[in-house]
Amino acid sequence: MAADVRTNDVQANVVEAGADIEAYRAQVRSFIAGRGVPMQGEGVRVPRDAEEEKAIRGWLRSLHEAGHLGAGWPAEWGGRAGHLPIHDLVLMEELIRGDAYRPLDQVMLAAHAIIEFGTDTQKRELLPRIRAGEHVWCQLFSEPEAGSDLASLRTRAEPDPDGDGYLVTGQKIWSTDAQWADMGLLLARTDPAAGRHAGLTAFVVPMGLPGLDVRPIREMTGYAEFCEVFLDGVRLGAEHVLGEVNSGWKVITSGLASERAFVGANAVQLERMFDDLVSLARTARLPDGSAALEHEDIQAKLADALARVEEVRLIVRDTVERILVDDEHPSDGPVAKLAYSETNVALTELAMEIIASAASIDAEGAEVADRWHHNFLWGRALTISGGASEIMRGLIGRQLLGLPRA
Amino acid sequence: MSMFVSASAAQPGAGVDAVLTTTVVDDVVTTDDVVALRDALRGALGTTRQDLAPAVDADWRTSWPMLAELGLPALCAPEEKDGFGLRADAAVAAATELGAALHGGPFAGLTASVHALAHAADDPVADALLAGVLTGRRVCAFGRLGRDGRVGQNERVARLVDGVPGADALLLLDDSRDDLVLLLDPADWTADPSRHRFDITRTCADVMPVAGRGHRVAVPGDAARRAVALYELLLAADAVGGVRRMLDRTVAYAGQRQAFGRPIGGFQAVQHRLADHAVRARGMTLVVAEAARRFDDEPSQTRRDVALASVSVSSGAPRLLHDLLQLTGGIGFTWEYGLHFYERRAHQDARLAANPRAAQRSLADVEGWTDGR
Repeated sequence: MAADVRTNDVQANVVEAGADIEAYRAQVRSFIAGRGVPMQGEGVRVPRDAEEEKAIRGWLRSLHEAGHLGAGWPAEWGGRAGHLPIHDLVLMEELIRGDAYRPLDQVMLAAHAIIEFGTDTQKRELLPRIRAGEHVWCQLFSEPEAGSDLASLRTRAEPDPDGDGYLVTGQKIWSTDAQWADMGLLLARTDPAAGRHAGLTAFVVPMGLPGLDVRPIREMTGYAEFCEVFLDGVRLGAEHVLGEVNSGWKVITSGLASERAFVGANAVQLERMFDDLVSLARTARLPDGSAALEHEDIQAKLADALARVEEVRLIVRDTVERILVDDEHPSDGPVAKLAYSETNVALTELAMEIIASAASIDAEGAEVADRWHHNFLWGRALTISGGASEIMRGLIGRQLLGLPRA
Repeated sequence: MSMFVSASAAQPGAGVDAVLTTTVVDDVVTTDDVVALRDALRGALGTTRQDLAPAVDADWRTSWPMLAELGLPALCAPEEKDGFGLRADAAVAAATELGAALHGGPFAGLTASVHALAHAADDPVADALLAGVLTGRRVCAFGRLGRDGRVGQNERVARLVDGVPGADALLLLDDSRDDLVLLLDPADWTADPSRHRFDITRTCADVMPVAGRGHRVAVPGDAARRAVALYELLLAADAVGGVRRMLDRTVAYAGQRQAFGRPIGGFQAVQHRLADHAVRARGMTLVVAEAARRFDDEPSQTRRDVALASVSVSSGAPRLLHDLLQLTGGIGFTWEYGLHFYERRAHQDARLAANPRAAQRSLADVEGWTDGR
């Protein structure tokens, strides 16, 4: 927290790009309007049926074709001239505002790892298929015994005695989209003797290979968004290795760093949720027939919540501005993630309090209330996954405050 | 003359527009003249080392002319009245430093008064006082004649006037008549400080104007509303200054203090709470900075921004400081350590503006939640 004085040109950068950004925003907004496939709910991504899957794949393809998704890729793989990193943020914000289906792993992680570390063959085979909506990707990282402490993972990729490839055995868990993904980005241990991070290798894995079994996990929300993936002697070739053998940690962490500005979209998400919270308070009727929103105590709680949302909006904007000029502090991401995900939980808790105090909710409100029941349960996914809040606090404690490792 | 003063004086009229470079200081992107002001203030206040034990300076009036020379009273006065324009960002930076230093003066009220007085039309009395305040010779506090404050037949009272005694002029907003009453001499009022002794870093009193005294000042409604908004925003900034200084100090303490063979900051029970506080402190800082940045936007936006800042800080700062006390343990519980000065002051900052409740009500209005009835 020591006075941190740096000279930069954040404001100049933003002002200069301002006109362009707003023009791009308008373009994206009109592209999405009436065309985007709607999300079923917060975090609900898996298509309900073949028809919806077809629609989602078509939507992802059209976002690529229009130069919105994958716009920052090298030109030879379909990137768009004139693309600015902030356009990725604008796109994500507008997808959220328009309640349109948005990509997760396939663009943010796999594509960047392939672009940065892939062989020419891998790029040629894989990148066009992402753009065409033909390949949906998932991550095969976490394991039952390796969650926040990912580097302790145990899935083994051992030399194949019958060839020059690998046999992969182990269990992965919490893989989003794995039940309908075509490809997986796998992190497995290739050198058990090396250090925790040093013996890991990244692989690109066709999800249909023999020995690979995907089992969706029914979560407390009632949906099955995460999967267990069992690998029992899955045969991979040298062509499936992404990057250098035993350099997998670098491959996946550099991918995680890509499109960092997406963190900014969380602010839009929170603002949208706050509006929905006010809608809930408008439609929830207390036993005397009045709307919850008419009451000063509810208004006071909403005002407190709005101030928290504003804090997060500014924390996130601040982070994005630094990312855009490549000047972020290592703790900026954890600060933004902790602030966003915990404030999100606070909003859902207030929603539940409002619902609990309501004697009746009209037909329109019932839909809002159902959404908040789901949001309440789903909110914990955000404070647990992608680095649990406890991990974020530890990173902030060490990297921002300079405290010793706990 | 400070860098802040000379930079602006060198190019009259150009003011801040001439400043192009920006810097990030304590989470806020700011202009170099504000950085210079902050550094000059820390030098003058003796708070260059923010981790040192704080002290209360009861004799703040003696050194006030020196701080005034840095430009402090003029930050929110228009240039034609020898001010710097409406530099809410600089005023927020100054209030933050004064809060961190436990300064005894009524900076929020003084700045609000200056802004209002500077908008009085053709008023030699207001102009004369303004000139005195800008040089630091005089100190004008700010208060509100309350609707509920009728004491006798004709006597009215302004509750909770920060800086009395100490100030030698008072500008009181008369809520019932929507204008301002200027009291130019301490003989023009009687003050009762007996009920306002919790915050020992500043003085505060309930004030009763002496019958027949007082000069009515007419200012445009917009200037009066902005003066109140400034007052509330600077009180929030004052508390943020205390939060940041005490958080820095607590983090330093947690990194040094050993228990069970290791620094207590290495225990998750301590470290994780400090991390949460660091995030919250950044949030408060940025919400206050945003309200300052947009301060000359249209009035409803200003009202919303100031209410958000007030809610954020008045509900967050006292709780945060109280938890820092827990994390600092027994030493924090001593008078000498001084953490309690900031707890008292942050509470008073909230109370002076009747927050968080007043700001919550204000937000409810601005957001349209009260339209239903």
